Amino acid sequence: MIMTTQTQKKPAPATAAARRQSSANLTGHRFAGPLFASPALIGLAIFLVAPFVLAVVLSFYRVQLNSPRPARFIGFEQYTRLFTDPDLSAAFGQALLNNFTFALIVVPVQTVLALGLAVLVNRKLRGMVVFRTFIFMPLVFPLALTAVIWRLIYSRGDEGLLNAIFGLFSGGALSSHDWLGSPSTALGSIIVMSIWQSVSFQMIIVLAALQSVPTELYEAASLDRANKWQQFINVTVPGIRNTLIFVALITTIFSFRLFDQVYLLSRSGSVDRGSTETVMTQIINTGFDNNNVGQAAAMTVIFMLIITVIAIIQRAAVRQRGGV
Amino acid sequence: MTMHKTMEPARRSSSMKQTRRWQTALHYLILTVVALFFFLPVYYLIVGSFRPSSEVLSGLSGFVPSNLSFDNYAGVFDHLSSDATGHFFQFALVSIIVTTSVVAGSLIVNSMAAYSFARMKWRGKKVLFLLVIILTIIPFEAVALPLYYMFSGQRDTIVIQAIPFIANAFSIFLFYTFFLDVPGEIEEAARLDGAGPVRTFFQVIIPITKPAFATVAILTFLSQWGSYLWPVLMVSDPTVRPLPLAISIFQNQQPPEWGQVLAFGTMFIVPVLAVFLIFQRWFVASISSSAIKG
Amino acid sequence: MTIPKSRRRAGIFAAVAAVSAAALTMAGCGAPDAGIAGSSVEAGSGEGTVNVWAVDGQAAENDALKKIISNFESSQSKIKVNLKLFPSDQYTKAVNSAASGDLPDVLAFDGPTLASFVYNGKMAPLKDSVSAETLSNQTDSIKAQNTVDGDVYGVGMMNAGLALWGNKKLLDSAGVAYPTTPEDAWTAEEFTGVLDKLASVVPGGKPLDLSEQYGFAGEWGTCCSAGPVIWSGGGTMLKDNKAAGALDSDANVKSLTRFASWKKYTDPNADGLAFPNGRVALSWVGHWTYPTYKALGSDLVSIPLPNFGKGTKTASGTYSWGMGATTKKGAASGKFLDFLMSDDSVRIYTDANGAPPATKTALATSSLYGPGKQLQLLGDQLSKACGPEEKITETCVSVTRPVTAGYPIVTDQVGKAEAAIYAGKDAKEALSAAARAIDQNFADNDGYRK
Repeated sequence: MIMTTQTQKKPAPATAAARRQSSANLTGHRFAGPLFASPALIGLAIFLVAPFVLAVVLSFYRVQLNSPRPARFIGFEQYTRLFTDPDLSAAFGQALLNNFTFALIVVPVQTVLALGLAVLVNRKLRGMVVFRTFIFMPLVFPLALTAVIWRLIYSRGDEGLLNAIFGLFSGGALSSHDWLGSPSTALGSIIVMSIWQSVSFQMIIVLAALQSVPTELYEAASLDRANKWQQFINVTVPGIRNTLIFVALITTIFSFRLFDQVYLLSRSGSVDRGSTETVMTQIINTGFDNNNVGQAAAMTVIFMLIITVIAIIQRAAVRQRGGV
Repeated sequence: MTMHKTMEPARRSSSMKQTRRWQTALHYLILTVVALFFFLPVYYLIVGSFRPSSEVLSGLSGFVPSNLSFDNYAGVFDHLSSDATGHFFQFALVSIIVTTSVVAGSLIVNSMAAYSFARMKWRGKKVLFLLVIILTIIPFEAVALPLYYMFSGQRDTIVIQAIPFIANAFSIFLFYTFFLDVPGEIEEAARLDGAGPVRTFFQVIIPITKPAFATVAILTFLSQWGSYLWPVLMVSDPTVRPLPLAISIFQNQQPPEWGQVLAFGTMFIVPVLAVFLIFQRWFVASISSSAIKG
Repeated sequence: MTIPKSRRRAGIFAAVAAVSAAALTMAGCGAPDAGIAGSSVEAGSGEGTVNVWAVDGQAAENDALKKIISNFESSQSKIKVNLKLFPSDQYTKAVNSAASGDLPDVLAFDGPTLASFVYNGKMAPLKDSVSAETLSNQTDSIKAQNTVDGDVYGVGMMNAGLALWGNKKLLDSAGVAYPTTPEDAWTAEEFTGVLDKLASVVPGGKPLDLSEQYGFAGEWGTCCSAGPVIWSGGGTMLKDNKAAGALDSDANVKSLTRFASWKKYTDPNADGLAFPNGRVALSWVGHWTYPTYKALGSDLVSIPLPNFGKGTKTASGTYSWGMGATTKKGAASGKFLDFLMSDDSVRIYTDANGAPPATKTALATSSLYGPGKQLQLLGDQLSKACGPEEKITETCVSVTRPVTAGYPIVTDQVGKAEAAIYAGKDAKEALSAAARAIDQNFADNDGYRK
């Protein structure tokens, strides 16, 4: 995932040469290198790799948390059950579908929004700091609190904030809608909430990229009589292409990890679980609420494989310029 | 923060200046609408925390600042006033200790690893770095269960709430990005001065990549402060309970004390807002000062 | 790459193997104490500090509990109490995740979770620690909840009552006559007509509150809406430890579908204040709202839940108190439990939260639930106890939820099914899927037999 923007290409040979020279002369790197990296790597090994391996191991057992019954080895049964049991496979498939729908909508929308917001905020206007802070605010909201506030917003009665706002603007013509309970709008509601929470994170990254597009390119384009839109398409977008790809990639990964808001929302009120359940909420529900640790582990393994494949495909499809 | 000229060439006719004014006004309008969209729930949270619970969910009037008082805040502290329930400041202290430990540990450990990947040459580096990138895919929730299984003998400590989050693949990746931008000449100069890799890193690299550290600090703080799942699994003792676990107490009252929930929430986000406001200048500057490199 | 491929692969293999070995070892070391089937209570000296765990409830309840504890401590000098309160959504996890050495001496538990706590080795039988007098003073319906496999594991200060609270003013203005005894309960068909009439006297046209804001997907669904509806319709959730054929019976399909048809009359009640604020005329909720609802004064009436065919039914059961399986202070804990069950303590607690007392002596002298008192209906319903599902008759009213260690999966699935049906899904499908999931889980656990 190495990407360079155009501005950095020129000094590269000089840096590389310096790098080669300094590392060739420092034999300490043979020890210093691994030494520097080892605390983090050990931490990752214990707290990320090991539990993941354990999840894989657990997926071959029938095991319950805190149960007096010992774990029982059952081979691939958790996996076959996941694919052949009509209830389980339907639920898992539905959750996967929700995740994909979510990602397919959120990734482009959030990336474009991030770009749009960054462009908006990229002007030297008075009070820009204030606007930037406001837009960044949702990020400081803990996910649990986001769920609480948006539950109140989406409440299906007339007092729900969203219904009240629509009622006001439509003069009472629009009747109150069950945003979270109706399968057609449930996932959409969660999407809006999720975008609200995280778009500013991507916006900041795109903003930084925008600011490093060399101004000479814009001046040259305007001398060529290009209007603002043409400049945007031909100068801005190519200049931040790598960043946009980066943003799209991390948004994809994060969107599959969607859990907290959905889990908290779905436990309250009349949320339609079918259209909002994600694979992560299902995993937690299976493991903790239904106390079926082996099944949850199998689902985790399959899910990780799917995401890895998606990430690889995404990288292969949209190569970064100058990237590895 | 680098600012380049706007995309408009200089024009002199007054009608064009008029257009510019319209465009600026439109610009502000759009900005305001957008900012409102993001800010409205925050406003609702803060205003609602000062209003009676019964008026919180009454449609649009929930936004009107009337009947303001500190009752909800008093209610929160009242409820959390004994050793049995745990005290608000106790929860806050636990959260602060855990979060700052994670941030501090994270800054040290992940930056060192990233520097080693970015600037040092050693066997197996490429493979391990690839592994680190792949690890960014794994969400915590996916390994929460097995982690619980592994460490259920170490529950109810502050240490166990912090340690699993110190090493972080995404932070390593971010640091790596910033370190690649450091010009090689600087390190060359340090080497000529006789500095080994340790001294180079701590005395040369860190000072000039401070914005990177600020970035990772904010992001880590953000994600740790609201961490809920792991403490729920690992903490029963009120004396080591962090703040996010206590919010449900107010929701489960009969009827739910929404005002107190919002008061709790407001107090909850204040430290984060403070951290952000302090660091936000560095944050934007840090990302913008380096072209994003991976 | 400087490392030849085969060596690199071997290196990675070794690393993975080492990590797995480490993981498994840690799993072994850190595994929660499995296999503690029985309990190991020691009577102890009858002195010392007793650790008590309970749920962080309403402010008034917490205060009452603290008052009772301070009364206990001042009534004798040998035993002190160390109370810990937990947010209710984490309580079950806290108990289940506690290692046996960390279990408290005395703990509260939500009735239906008792069987699974016993199964997981967290609770101790009470008979050697709590006085016989205390045990015999327990009402029948709470005894049904607190007895697992013939042994008594809990004693309760309170029970729970469910009812349809009514706003007399609105009912009268709509010309609706309402029943006040279980025998006269509205039939489900009549109830639809009642809702129709009431829709015109409330702003917003939604006169019914089903406590939707609690979420049917959780325990509220199973205990207090799906449960009574199913039982009143003549069905059960389980039969002979199986769900298929019982949960997905046609009777249940019919009664739950009828229940879901009332959604259009139902206020979502996100703020929990629909009834006191006059947005609804009927509120289907438990006794715990009485402290708020009594503001209606004489306009507050209690009405039995609708009758779906086999007589009106409600659920009973709520938090009770038991002993930790590994306590070393059995005698002291028993004394504390005895004190909790004394008339004075029960009165303090139930006055604070408006719950029906669960001891015979306190119930008889209750100012709210006795004969002729305002909440007599709820008290009556509890004394007409059915016991568990298998023993339901037409005339009994309050039913104990299934006493099985598999209750967590039962409630999860029943709640999920109810929420789906309420959202419009086909009842037969939802219930069959739930039944299959329950049975599969029971099969995986050998029926939860020890």
